[in-house]
Amino acid sequence: MTIESIAELLGACARDRRAVIIQGGNTLRGMGLPPMRADVTLSTLDLNDIVEDAPDDLTIAVQSGVRLRTLSTRLAQHGTHVPFDAPRAADATVGGTLAAGWLGPRRHLYGRPRDFVIGSIAVLADGTIAHAGGMVVKNVSGYDLSRLYVGSFGTLAVLAQINLKTIAAPPAARMFHLRLPEGTRDRALAQFAHLAVAPSAAFWIEGHRGAVDGDDGAEGRMSVLLEGSAAVLERATRDLRSAMGRAGVPETRIVDAGARESFERIVDAYVASLGERSITYRIAAFPDDVLPRMDACKALAERFELRTDTIVDAMNGDLLFRVSDLDSHAFGAKIEMFDDALHDDEPRAVIVAGNHPSRSLLNVWGEPPDGLDRMRELKRQFDPGNILNPGRFVAGL
Amino acid sequence: MLHQRLIEALGADAVKTAPEDLRAYAFDAYTEGRLPSAVVLPSNTRDVSAVVKIARDCGEPIVPRGAGTGLCGGAVPVIGGIVLSFARMNRVLAYEPARRRACVQPGLINLDLSRATARDALFYAPDPSSQSISTIGGNIATNAGGPHCLSYGTTVNHVLALEIVDDRGEVFMTDIDRPGYDLTAAFVGSEGTLGLVTAAWVRLMRLPEAVRVWLATFPDVESASDAVSAIIAAGIVPTALEMMDAVATRAVEAAFSAGYPTDAGAVLLIEHAGLEDDMNAYEREIARIARERGANSWRVARSQNERDALWAGRKGAAGAMGRIAPNYYVQDVCVRRSTLPRALHTIERIARDHHLTMANVFHAGDGNLHPLICYDKRDKKQVAAVIESGNEILRMAVDLGGTVSGEHGIGFEKREAMTAIYTTQDLATMARVREVFDPQRAFNPEKIFPVGVRCPEVAPVA
Repeated sequence: MTIESIAELLGACARDRRAVIIQGGNTLRGMGLPPMRADVTLSTLDLNDIVEDAPDDLTIAVQSGVRLRTLSTRLAQHGTHVPFDAPRAADATVGGTLAAGWLGPRRHLYGRPRDFVIGSIAVLADGTIAHAGGMVVKNVSGYDLSRLYVGSFGTLAVLAQINLKTIAAPPAARMFHLRLPEGTRDRALAQFAHLAVAPSAAFWIEGHRGAVDGDDGAEGRMSVLLEGSAAVLERATRDLRSAMGRAGVPETRIVDAGARESFERIVDAYVASLGERSITYRIAAFPDDVLPRMDACKALAERFELRTDTIVDAMNGDLLFRVSDLDSHAFGAKIEMFDDALHDDEPRAVIVAGNHPSRSLLNVWGEPPDGLDRMRELKRQFDPGNILNPGRFVAGL
Repeated sequence: MLHQRLIEALGADAVKTAPEDLRAYAFDAYTEGRLPSAVVLPSNTRDVSAVVKIARDCGEPIVPRGAGTGLCGGAVPVIGGIVLSFARMNRVLAYEPARRRACVQPGLINLDLSRATARDALFYAPDPSSQSISTIGGNIATNAGGPHCLSYGTTVNHVLALEIVDDRGEVFMTDIDRPGYDLTAAFVGSEGTLGLVTAAWVRLMRLPEAVRVWLATFPDVESASDAVSAIIAAGIVPTALEMMDAVATRAVEAAFSAGYPTDAGAVLLIEHAGLEDDMNAYEREIARIARERGANSWRVARSQNERDALWAGRKGAAGAMGRIAPNYYVQDVCVRRSTLPRALHTIERIARDHHLTMANVFHAGDGNLHPLICYDKRDKKQVAAVIESGNEILRMAVDLGGTVSGEHGIGFEKREAMTAIYTTQDLATMARVREVFDPQRAFNPEKIFPVGVRCPEVAPVA
């Protein structure tokens, strides 16, 4: 497949108003609403060339169907990385991850995926091939269309090529798993704002048994990823241990070999679904209010007799909250009411995973954003026939 | 009529109409435009909204203005209209140190934010050399960079949400954490052509525990740029990596006595901020590369004072050029970092061909070049040579796979140069965005887009 062939296909679909569903690795299919119409499926998986690998410039240009694992393996040869931190990296594509606006746990340290995008080639609904940006790391020449496509859920254009800047990968990584005894959770999490060496990621986890490493204590568990040079890891380890000691957390299990894999299992668990028996919400809170908000969500789930598996990203304040039931009928009977009740408390909760048949009845995107009329006009300018992923995105965009 | 309505809405004190006042706002740091019809100095979002509605009724375009330090005519009223200065909207509206963010008005001076947050060991990272006078709103308009954006990223990486007054005078918020299109990204770097930013939530960073600044000298610009390429190719991205050639260092020393050697062909100013534990290893590695590439000296700034002096010299470099020539023109292009030696070599040749003195003082680590071309504007032949050599530098950057503006923006100056890097279709795609937010072309007209770019007609939805 070539970019030109995508342009031809889209041009033809635009003429007869055929709806095009864009697919990458299908790893984030639990996000968004089901399409309103679906006439043609456009898979980007054949668009998988590394167009230009420029390690001396710390840049790389890839087609959108390149898998995240393929990219990271290539970059590792140069000692660099682009920390997308998206689930199921072996399947996920660069284009899909960006289009979905994925936000991972290490962004507080390295920046968001969008911050690494320096250029793009996109195909518009009418078949227009549009370049933006380039292969330089600083560029103020017109509107930043590349970033506009990021997070647009494929409703403005099909991302065909993405140019990225890369950064040096940290030389070493270490993972900590801590069981939290009674009365330690809040104190333990409060430590992270003050550590001199900021961890790359720090999670509070409850549930997700078997899927991620570590065991719950009376108040769940924590997993902490440290990255850096050997000297930094040593110091950060000392600091973390004494901070946890102050919080009354005694046990620490350290994983060096396999630390990154352990981290990736947690990221995978963000969207791990129990098929028709679960729905996972993502709530963007702050590090200083995520715990009380999480407790409120949990209390609500208990009222509905739903099981919960929880990941709190303590550095960014993200809450990943999975509710489930052992029985899919029982789950189906209460999920709609739970969804309403949850959005009363957390109007901006977004669904990121779960394959329940009545998904379209749930408040999948949460409260619509401000400036919606302008977003609708933007959609009309880029895709007047509404053929790209129709109905999938927020508020009908 | 226009004046009367503006005065009724904002008060006489916030509306300037006297010719001598208007003349002061016809300029920016690049050029002079037409005399505006009026200058307004709103105090809040409501005022801005009122101005937009009045301007719309009267058919007047609006040219937003921060400090007017832009170098490509971005704040100049090319076809007249109302100049809207944000000078009075310069407050910090909200400050949340625990969440490392602040909400500021667009007229706040960049450096004032870092000064206000220093007590909590926080700072606002984008640091254009103009940061002691330029405003955060102006920085947002041009997606401003600065020496430290090498590792911290440009302004777009530090803006979380924007309050916008649109072309109807209505207010909406953008927010990078909400689902929907990333209008924040669309507005940052749009040079005031899409709407008016009236408040911005920005990200603050923790001050690093350790900062080291090194100075390496080289026999010539080529070896210094070769060292820069080698440092980047080794995967080392310092917090800042700046280069000055001999013309620049001599001017800076004459002006500031900052501590730069005046006998070197070129110097690299290198800063790394981070953890104390890594500093020695870091220094060894960079110093090794510098020596391999021909550095004749290497020293570390021993004190905070010494570091500050070196940085003050670097940030004041453009101003110091006044010592060697009555006028200077600063070009801003960005090339791939591996092509720096070739780019510098070409710039030297261009200067020689045109018998011009050029000083190079730039963000080497980003590949972002700022040749300063010295001239005397009373000499018409020299002026012509400056314009021609500026164009040759643009062509050189494009030929090397670079771009026509790294951080100053397109403004009025470089609008025609856009065709050198973008196709008609690329530009028409950008024009679709303009069409959404500013169909009347009332916000900062005659900027960014080359003459004649149109977006395709979109048929009404049946």
